[in-house]
Amino acid sequence: MDNLYIAPTPSSPEVDFRFDTHRLSLRGESYPENAAAFYADVIAQLKAYLAQPQDRPIDVQIALAYFNSSSTKMLFNLIEALNDAAQAGRQVDLHWYHDEEDDTLFEFGQELSSDFPALRFLSHPVRPA
Amino acid sequence: MRASPIADRYGPFLDLAHQHQVIFYYVGYFSQNIVAAMAEAVKLQLEVAGVSGPTRRKLFSAFIEMAQNIIHYSADTLTPPSLDDGELRHGSVCIRQESDGRFLLLCANPIDPETAHGLRAKLDTLRSMTLDEIKQAYRQTLREEKPEGSKGAGMGFLTVARDAREPLEFDFAPADRAGGPPVFYLKAAL
Repeated sequence: MDNLYIAPTPSSPEVDFRFDTHRLSLRGESYPENAAAFYADVIAQLKAYLAQPQDRPIDVQIALAYFNSSSTKMLFNLIEALNDAAQAGRQVDLHWYHDEEDDTLFEFGQELSSDFPALRFLSHPVRPA
Repeated sequence: MRASPIADRYGPFLDLAHQHQVIFYYVGYFSQNIVAAMAEAVKLQLEVAGVSGPTRRKLFSAFIEMAQNIIHYSADTLTPPSLDDGELRHGSVCIRQESDGRFLLLCANPIDPETAHGLRAKLDTLRSMTLDEIKQAYRQTLREEKPEGSKGAGMGFLTVARDAREPLEFDFAPADRAGGPPVFYLKAAL
């Protein structure tokens, strides 16, 4: 299937899902007006990719400096889809980048790692610029 | 120097804003592009004002939730009410500092009287909750289906309340014009 690339805007992240090399990344800030609409297609394509028979490990990089409440929910759904694949036997590494001073992002990452134990969760504190 | 008629009139307005330590104020129509531009201005203002990183992030987050609530729910709309993207609605938002250094976020927008009733109940409940209960409700809502009538995730107020140092305050004032809808005010102390 085709890779998915969505260029970043000030209020939506760069989506760079390279399905051919099993490397998926989300970077930037996420507060689109309608997060459900923005992420619906992203999640649909991710699920289509995960449904393909394939056993190569997946490398996921999430480096979001900020996401609003409705993006939080969509992100949770996206990571849940990855966890489902991991539970079915696929290796999924989730690299979670958060500003070292940002407790909210850190705690959300901790919550993801405890909610989705099938993922190999790697937390990366980043120094503020 | 000769008194300037512009300074005479505009000066007191600026002085008042200065007295109230207004860091940012906007009144007018809110769209996603306008909010993104304001977000840039707010970030810069808070950075220049020397606000610490964690406080800056909390203020920014609360600001975005309030501004997007106006885009989604203000009763004064230029776009059809059925639209859930590309909306344009009226309201105001303000960030100011108190003499003790705390920050206040305030917003106001007209609201449908029917919506006001439900909103009051929702915010009263939120005000009665402890921080632990707020965090618990946040975690629970994250895992539930999106609530009826919400254009987001139904987590906006919980997000603001989680970061605030005091329970959120709110008010409904009579319409600012005859026959108009009531005005909803929300205040968060950070």
